[in-house]
Amino acid sequence: MPGPWESHICPGCACLCDDLDLVEADGGLQAHNVCAWGSAKFLGSKKFHPGQPRRRLTAPFVRRRGRREEVSPEAALAQAAELLARARRPVVFGLTACGSRAQEAALAVARHLRARLEPADLNLMAPYYQALLTAEIHHASLEVLRDEADTVLYWGANPLHSCPRHLTRYTVFARGRFTERGVEDRRLAAVDLHRTELARFCQVFVRVAPGADLELIRAVQGVLSGASRATVTGAVRLAEFLRHGEVGVIFAGRGLAVGAEALARFAALGDLIRVLRPARRFFLLPLASDFNSAGLYHLLLTRLGSPWAPDFGEGDPPVFRSQPVRWEEVDALLVTGADLFWLLPEETRRDLTRRQVPVVAVGPWEDRTVARAAVALPAALEGIEVEEVAYRQDGIPVCLRPVLPPPAPAAHQVLTQLLEISS
Amino acid sequence: MLTAPELLEFLPQTDCGQCGMTCADFAGLLLARDLSPADCPVLHEPEYAGFIEALEELLATAPAAGRGMAIDPARCIGCGICVAMCEHHLAQVPEARAGRGPGLGDRVIFRVVNGQVVVVNQELCVRLLQAAEKCSKCAEHCPTEAITLR
Ligand code: SF4
Ligand code: SF4
Ligand code: SF4
Ligand code: SF4
Repeated sequence: MPGPWESHICPGCACLCDDLDLVEADGGLQAHNVCAWGSAKFLGSKKFHPGQPRRRLTAPFVRRRGRREEVSPEAALAQAAELLARARRPVVFGLTACGSRAQEAALAVARHLRARLEPADLNLMAPYYQALLTAEIHHASLEVLRDEADTVLYWGANPLHSCPRHLTRYTVFARGRFTERGVEDRRLAAVDLHRTELARFCQVFVRVAPGADLELIRAVQGVLSGASRATVTGAVRLAEFLRHGEVGVIFAGRGLAVGAEALARFAALGDLIRVLRPARRFFLLPLASDFNSAGLYHLLLTRLGSPWAPDFGEGDPPVFRSQPVRWEEVDALLVTGADLFWLLPEETRRDLTRRQVPVVAVGPWEDRTVARAAVALPAALEGIEVEEVAYRQDGIPVCLRPVLPPPAPAAHQVLTQLLEISS
Repeated sequence: MLTAPELLEFLPQTDCGQCGMTCADFAGLLLARDLSPADCPVLHEPEYAGFIEALEELLATAPAAGRGMAIDPARCIGCGICVAMCEHHLAQVPEARAGRGPGLGDRVIFRVVNGQVVVVNQELCVRLLQAAEKCSKCAEHCPTEAITLR
C-alpha cells in the first residue's frame, strides 16, 4: 500500500470533505480528519459503532429454495437478468449512495427493462429541485455560505447525524472571509420534532408537532410579510431570527420530506424566502446525506428534464411520477446505492417477502437488502477502492480516487454487464 | 485510564535519587505532566534504550489525569468542532481556524483520527500553559459532551 494520500475526498456523505489524510498504520489504513460516519466506510465498521465490524458482500450468490448458493458472476448476472425480464412492474431503487457512472448505468438498465427508477430520497430532493425550477430559489455553494452566511436555519434536519462535519466545515464554526469570528459572527436556529444536540448552539430552537411544518412555514411568512399575526408557536421567534440576517440559508432535511405535503412545504419555503429577499440574500438547500444524491438529480434533470421518478413502463420518454412508488404493485426490484429493506416500514417489507418479489442487489455490504435478495452481486467501495464521480450536496462535481485494491468490480461495471446480458 | 504504577514499570525503580525524588514520585509527576521521561538521567543509559520512547507513547495516548482532558470515545462522533474551536489552534493552526482538518505536520493539541478525537500534544493546552480558568472552549462546544476537562 503506497501513500500517504493527502487531501483525499471522503465518500461518506454529501459533504464530500476534501481534507482527509490517509496513512498506513499497523498494516491498515488510518484516516485523519474523517468523522465517525465516514470512518465507518474506510474501516468497514458500523456507523457510529466503531467497534462493530460491518460485513462485506464477498461473492455473488443466487438463492435457491431459500438457501444462498455462491455462483460465478456470469451465472448471477444471468439469473438477475431473467428475474427482472420476467417482471411486469420492475423498479430500480436507491442510487443516492453510488457514483455518477453507476447512476448512469442504472438509468440505462431502467430504460431497457421498462422499469421505474426510484431515488431513495425522492420525497426530499425532487420537491426541492422542482421548486428550484419553478420558484425563484437561489442556490449557493457551501464555500459561499461559509464565507458569507450570518444566519443559518436547519429545518427538519440534524446535520450532526446526517453530515457530521457540516457545522464545523461550513455553516457554524468555520471562519470564512466575512465570518472571521466563526460561531460569533453567525446565528443558528433549528426546527425539529425533538430537541436535538443542535439546540445547544441555537439562538432559536422550535419544536414542531408531526405534520405541522407547513402551517409553521406559512405562519412565519405571514409574520414577515405583516399579513397575519402568528397563531403558531415559534413563528414570531423564527420570523425575528430570519429578519435580522443579511445573508442567510435554510437547510431543509428529511423532516420536511415525510408524507404527501413535501412539495407544498418546499413551495412555501420558496415563498418565505421571497418575502425575505428584497433586503437580504437568502438561500435554500436540501440537506442530502447520501454521498451522491445531488448527482442523481443532476443526471435526471440533464437527461430527462425532470427531478421526479421516471417511469419507463409506458414507453420512452418516460412518465414522471411525483408520488412515491406503490410497493404493492411492484413485482421485481433492482437495488443499488441504498439499503431498501432498512428504509422500508415493517409492513411493506413483509408484503414484499410474502409475495416473493425477487430482489437483485448490487453493492459492497452485507446489508438488509442483500439478506433478502434473490441474487446479489458485490461491488467495490467507490472513492476507496475504485474511481467514481460524485456531486456534492451543493451540486459541485468531484472525482473520487481509490487508495485500496478493489475486491470486486465497480457497481457501474456490474450494471453495464447486466444491461449487456439483458439485451 | 493511565496510572502512575503503570508508568513506574518503565522506570528503573532503583530510587537512585538523581532526579531529587523516588521513582514512584517521579512517575506521579510524569502523569501530571510536570516532568517528562527525559528528565530521568538513568533512562538515558544504553541499558534503558527505548524506555523514554515507550513512556512518551503511553503519555501521548492517555489523557492526563489530574489536569488536561479526557475524551469519551463512545460519545465522540468525530465532528471536529473541538478542533476548530480550540483556543490554541485558533492562533496556531490556520486549517483548523478555517474549519478544515489540520495537516499531518501541524502541531495540534488533538486531532480526529478514524472518526474519533485523539490527544496528541496535551502540553500545548492553554489550561496547562496558563491557568485552567483561561479556557474550556473545546468541552463547551462539544455537541455530545464527550470532553471532560480537569
Ligand atoms: S462529514 Fe461526510 S464527507 Fe465529511 S468526513 Fe464525515 S462522512 Fe465524510
Ligand atoms: S532519577 Fe530516574 S532512576 Fe533515579 S530515582 Fe529518579 S526516576 Fe528513579
Ligand atoms: S481547553 Fe482550550 S486550549 Fe485546551 S484543548 Fe480545550 S480549547 Fe484547546
Ligand atoms: S466536539 Fe466532541 S464529538 Fe466532536 S470531535 Fe470533538 S470530542 Fe468528538
